[in-house]
Amino acid sequence: MNTKEFNKALTVTSPPHLKNPETTHTLMFDVLIALIPASAWGVYTFGFRALVLILLSMAASVAFEAAYQFFMNIPVTVKDGSALVTGLLLALCLPVSVPLWLPVVGDFFAIIVVKQIFGGIGKNIVNPAIAARVFLFLAWPDHLSRFTSPGASLPLFANVPFPDTVASATPLAALKTGDMPADDLFDIVLGNVGGTIGEVSSVMLIIGGIYLLVRKTVRWQIPVSYIGTVALLSFVFPRMEYTFNFVALELFSGGLLLGAIFMATDYVTSPVTRSGRLIYGAGCGIITVVIRFFGNYPEGVSFAIMIMNLLVWYIDMFTRPKRFGGVEKNAGK
Amino acid sequence: MKRYSFKGGVHPPQNKNTAGLPVVDMPLPEKVYIPLSMHIGAPCEPLVKVGDSVFKGQIIGDVKSGLGAPVHATVSGKVEAIKVSTNAAGQNTGYIVIQNDFEERLSPDITPSDKAPEEYTIDDVVSAVRKAGIAGMGGATFPTYAKLQSAYGKIKYLIVNCAECEPYITVNHRLMLEHPERIVNGLMLLMKVFGLSRGYIAVEDNKLDAAEALESAIEDPDLIDVCVMETKYPQGDERQIIYALTGRELTSGHLPFEVKCLVLNAETVAAIYNAVIYGMPLIERYVTVDGDCVAEPKNLNVRLGTPISELIDYCGGLTSEPHKIICGGPMMGIAQWDINAPVIKGTSSVIVFSKNKRKRFSFNPSCIHCGRCVGHCPMHLMPNYLYAFAKDGQLDRCVEFDIMGCVECGSCSYDCPADVPIVQTIRAAKGKINEEQRARKAALNKTFVVPEKEDESKKEGRRVEH
Repeated sequence: MNTKEFNKALTVTSPPHLKNPETTHTLMFDVLIALIPASAWGVYTFGFRALVLILLSMAASVAFEAAYQFFMNIPVTVKDGSALVTGLLLALCLPVSVPLWLPVVGDFFAIIVVKQIFGGIGKNIVNPAIAARVFLFLAWPDHLSRFTSPGASLPLFANVPFPDTVASATPLAALKTGDMPADDLFDIVLGNVGGTIGEVSSVMLIIGGIYLLVRKTVRWQIPVSYIGTVALLSFVFPRMEYTFNFVALELFSGGLLLGAIFMATDYVTSPVTRSGRLIYGAGCGIITVVIRFFGNYPEGVSFAIMIMNLLVWYIDMFTRPKRFGGVEKNAGK
Repeated sequence: MKRYSFKGGVHPPQNKNTAGLPVVDMPLPEKVYIPLSMHIGAPCEPLVKVGDSVFKGQIIGDVKSGLGAPVHATVSGKVEAIKVSTNAAGQNTGYIVIQNDFEERLSPDITPSDKAPEEYTIDDVVSAVRKAGIAGMGGATFPTYAKLQSAYGKIKYLIVNCAECEPYITVNHRLMLEHPERIVNGLMLLMKVFGLSRGYIAVEDNKLDAAEALESAIEDPDLIDVCVMETKYPQGDERQIIYALTGRELTSGHLPFEVKCLVLNAETVAAIYNAVIYGMPLIERYVTVDGDCVAEPKNLNVRLGTPISELIDYCGGLTSEPHKIICGGPMMGIAQWDINAPVIKGTSSVIVFSKNKRKRFSFNPSCIHCGRCVGHCPMHLMPNYLYAFAKDGQLDRCVEFDIMGCVECGSCSYDCPADVPIVQTIRAAKGKINEEQRARKAALNKTFVVPEKEDESKKEGRRVEH
């Protein structure tokens, strides 16, 4: 064998020479798969218009990412699927009655302002979908607080805000005014209530969450500590007398499950240590409950997650693992 | 049964394909290439000249002073050349090339010891081990005599490392199955010399048959404890074994005897036994040859200095174009640039990967902050931040985040979904930091003439030297 020729074929790299086949791409598609049940339920409940909003939002965020990277002459990374996740999550936290241009504006804000300007995937300091939802909520509050009843199939093009459709009070809005919601708890858990496209069905969100936990895409610490904190605070400080029912309502209505399972767990904007994740989840839970109980808004999930996103570096530093070792400690034994 | 383990680590596919294949003696090579440095410490000076006739087992190179281990002729024959060439790590090393005469003339210096087993003292063992040129055969190649000497009188736990946590490698597994008595006898000998009443053998639970073989070779089960450990990488790291068995944490930069432990590789223990009892130097070792483009993977008993191309040929050659040849395990082994690189004391395996085993590297890796590296780091560091600081050139922050505590096991890079070259970047930064420290020290010495203070480690080093 010709050694010289042979050696040319050899690659020399620094070890390790093995790599787990999982990539950012597969993790993002796991999240997309986990969101299928909730999205499907949203389409089933709110009709064809919900499907159009979802697809439009996903397409728009991919297009914005590709366009930005193309014009900035940097590698186009839409293949990693993170833009698809952002687009889908944003659509899922909008009501079905929003005008069709609204998610596109939101995607622009999420992808260009929050994600790409900060340096692209991994560099953003707040979750793009959450930030875009907060932005839309502050810019067009009436669009984002008008919820339609389940089953009321809206026309695709019409004069928004659909004067002739039935407006529905969400369970959380009812709680805000101090009433028990008119809906049955069973309907709330199943998702037969008013709300945004993706948040209504707790069952579907939990199915997605179990998938992510089984695949180990998401670790249990953040969802458990987030939901647990909300449950504990609602149980200890109930806003009304029906304690058990009330706790269940706090957990299963509004955006808590969508936020706790899919948004607070976004890798980029959550802590890297296990104990840090517990603290982060608990912080999200406390802020959510404080906003729901004392704030002006009926819902506080997106604000809570955004605030905790900004504290991730400090949580990481606070929970920095203790270095392996300590000869001094054991020397005497 | 209790499984000993540690916190962190990863589970790469084990691929122990050769575990069922007995070790076969490889035919002797035409020529052997003996590097003058196959251990940590000073390189050897050649003791022979071109044209000299050498015996098998004759010392042909030795270090004059300082840490090191002599090298031996591994076949009998004639010294053909003494040349300087580049080794796998890119450093220039001397090589002694010996043309084999296939007569297998054994060096007359090699004589079995006439002492009874109880009579050995630490000095006998240390001098025999030094003379035999034994260096850590798990891959670290630290001269074993120095390890034994510095640990004498200070240890409570004597541990034989049979964990073999690297994928593909099965040489320790085969040694335990085929010659468990070599490990047990070696351990018993060392226990007597060190005055210990108990020894430990650490085996991962993917080799339970080997653990059984060891247990049946142990005459008195009160003396030797076979500890079964969870199969996990890097279980075979000295620090993780010590932690798993004793609960003591050893920081990097410190030596095991500081926590009263001594950890030796299985093959090293067998070699110590051979050296002390039979006077036999380290001239051959077991090597696993495997990888997806090796025609017939095998476990071989190979003379040191044999070119790895001959090992591959003996295993039926390659079935497809190779992409990487790795000496040592795929997690920490060194990728070779020359197919004619020789087998050295630390070469536990030769692994040939084809292009379809190629590790994907993205050109624009971006950390997504998933935290897997933090969870996996056996040294409990935060590799993601170390990478970020190192890439940004913030070496002082790297030091603040304990970059020097990294043992470079590669668990972080293995499981990184974003394909970030974490450990590679950390390794480079560690090199830079060491360089800077040396430069600073040199500059300081130039400015002020300060009598150098002797710290503990230096004293230790000197004691080892004599």
